[in-house]
Amino acid sequence: MYYYHPKFWIFNAFCAEAKLIGNLVSMSTRERIKAIQKMPETMKKKREIRNSLSEYFHQLQLWHKTLKIIGGKFGTGVLSYFVFLKWLLTFNIFSFLINFSFIAIPQFVAAEPNNLSFTGLELITGAGYFQETILYYGFYTNATISKTENGASYNMQLAYIFTVGIYFVICLFSLVFSMTKSFRRNFINPQAYSGNASKLLCTWDFNITNEKAVKLKQKNLSTQIKEALFEVNQEVLNFSLKERVVHIVIHLASWVASLGTAVVACAGVYFLSINNLELFMKERKNDLESQAAMLVLPIVASLLNAFIPFFYSWLGLLEKFQNPRHQIYVTITRNIILKISIVGILCYYWLNIVAASESQCWETLVGQDIYRLVLVDFIFCLLGCFFGEFVRRIIGTTVYVSLGVPEFDIARNVLDLIYAQTLTWIGIFFSPLLPGIQMISFSVVFYVKKVSLMMNCQPPRKVWRAAQMTTFFIFLLFFPSLVGVLSVIAVTVWRLKPSKECGPFRGLSSMYAAISEWIETLKNYPGSEWVVWIYQNLFQSELFFFILSTLLLIITYLYWQIIEGRKTMVKLLRKQIINVSLTFSFLLLKFGFFVDCLISCCAVVICFSYDSVGERHLTEIKMTSLRDFPI
Amino acid sequence: ELLPEEEKENARSVRIPKSRILTLPELRANPFQHRICRVFSTSEDGDDSMSFEDFLDMLSVFSDSATSEIKSHYAFRIFDFDDDGTLDKKDLENLVNCLTGQSEESRLNSAEMEQLIQNILEESDIDKDGTINLSEFQHVISRSPDFASSFKIVL
Repeated sequence: MYYYHPKFWIFNAFCAEAKLIGNLVSMSTRERIKAIQKMPETMKKKREIRNSLSEYFHQLQLWHKTLKIIGGKFGTGVLSYFVFLKWLLTFNIFSFLINFSFIAIPQFVAAEPNNLSFTGLELITGAGYFQETILYYGFYTNATISKTENGASYNMQLAYIFTVGIYFVICLFSLVFSMTKSFRRNFINPQAYSGNASKLLCTWDFNITNEKAVKLKQKNLSTQIKEALFEVNQEVLNFSLKERVVHIVIHLASWVASLGTAVVACAGVYFLSINNLELFMKERKNDLESQAAMLVLPIVASLLNAFIPFFYSWLGLLEKFQNPRHQIYVTITRNIILKISIVGILCYYWLNIVAASESQCWETLVGQDIYRLVLVDFIFCLLGCFFGEFVRRIIGTTVYVSLGVPEFDIARNVLDLIYAQTLTWIGIFFSPLLPGIQMISFSVVFYVKKVSLMMNCQPPRKVWRAAQMTTFFIFLLFFPSLVGVLSVIAVTVWRLKPSKECGPFRGLSSMYAAISEWIETLKNYPGSEWVVWIYQNLFQSELFFFILSTLLLIITYLYWQIIEGRKTMVKLLRKQIINVSLTFSFLLLKFGFFVDCLISCCAVVICFSYDSVGERHLTEIKMTSLRDFPI
Repeated sequence: ELLPEEEKENARSVRIPKSRILTLPELRANPFQHRICRVFSTSEDGDDSMSFEDFLDMLSVFSDSATSEIKSHYAFRIFDFDDDGTLDKKDLENLVNCLTGQSEESRLNSAEMEQLIQNILEESDIDKDGTINLSEFQHVISRSPDFASSFKIVL
């Protein structure tokens, strides 16, 4: 009786449709179209199904509507920041998922009870209760976990090293592919991109849909054009020797000043951290004071990262560059140098000082440091957003009206993102669930920045070459960031001695020893000889790597020569075009009338015929007037 | 066969007048809105109304998957204000006026306009005939990687 109830049928029909959509979603586009065509339903029903499919896909693309609104109001430059943020978020989501499934969940099975008490302060300092949780390296067991006797066993050591290793290999490949794809599409050709006039033809951003934004952009464009024309009009000042020397001295002085500040900042961070470590080792109290003392290092590092860039921008203004674009590049370079040096000095401190200290579990200490750094960086990002944009707008509209509404500083925000992601990547090895925290932090940053942008900022005034800058930022994410992280992890795995009493590698001479031991045990299994062979002859032999590197160098050299050849070809072809058209116009000029007559008088008609075999034979050649052939 | 001849024609060729097309949020504020309607409309009366197929054409050219050649081809047609197949001085003048807006303070005066157009022609006119044809335009576009991402309208 129940099966004939109308509600059951409606529910069934709804389920059937949901199931149908579920099936369609999993097919490729072509198969989907074929499947929809095959269905014996009316056009109306099919259209409804297609609509629900497209809605499903749109919802799946995270924040699709938000990104479109931002692009419409602020243009492609600002949009590229948010797209970059979304892309970094996917890295973190992926890392969190695989770390959680392969490392954390098995650990739950073999977990030891946590004896420490939980106070709220742990959320900020990361120490205390959190020390004995899956958050940090130290908690993980080095045993081979098995649920039942003689059941399938799960080797925690191998799982830990392989999960992190495979994640980084996937990151590396995806970054390399995105970088090369982006570079190929937006090939940065500095010599060809000289003119300001021809780029006018390609400048208009059709994405902008807001009327006010359009008017603003038109005004900005007109100001830029007028400025550019004015500069060209001015006499090219021949700088006297004295003025040129003064310019060079100013440039050198500002470079010395910026590098000097970076060095001083690094030294400060280094001595502060050593101080911290000594204090921690001497007295192991857990009261409020020592907890607060642990926060000093991250706060100082974030303060340096927040305020020194202002100093660099001020230096840039002081230097009076000839080309305003150079000023942007130089400022970005100085910021990058600052951030790299801070991260570098911290890594040196962690790997050389903390690892050699006699603390009980140095990896957990490093993990806690990174946790605090990430958290304080997130708080400073929110604060910076509040003060840099909200308060600045209020000041700019009420007190100092000449300052105006702030612009969204794309370069600075992207560099902050890259810094945060570098810290997370370093922290994955010491604190496997850190990407989850960074995931939450990036999502919050997205919403906060979006709201702040809509409320407080105006569209950027100068033209921002979004495509090239995106390529540059992806390259930055690859080269100093990911490559640096990989070297840090490599040093940790190969050279450092793991702590004796905690973590999955306790007692081994190096973390890599886990793999060597595993290969040794594999030798006893008859079926896995190929693994042992690959390990011994490919990974351990130096000859193999030598041959590989030589091959790669030869191929790179060949490609480089091909590119040079093509460049020369392009120059030659361009000259040919000019020559040909000049020749043609010259001819037209001189013999125009004569050629006109000739062309209009006659045409030579060549007639072919085909014989029985299909061969072509020339039948006749005759001259007729061109009037028979309308052109 | 069930539908009489006239209704068949009508069903396929419903045309939307230009004024309604321009109420779309994506086109409403665009300075090139009139040229876009003119280029994509296939109406014979010249009233720039668009049928459904014209609308699809327009969306497909402005979409992400259109190649750079298609986009530059249509961009050339949009910027060619007098539809003569080349961008001459008058076209370039109209283009610059569209880009800088119609208000008094942002218009360029005639001397600046003259100089700007001279600069543009100097850089892009390879065969030195005083106009920019399609190949020269495509050559200029190919040097600017931002073109594909800015010549895009997504509904």
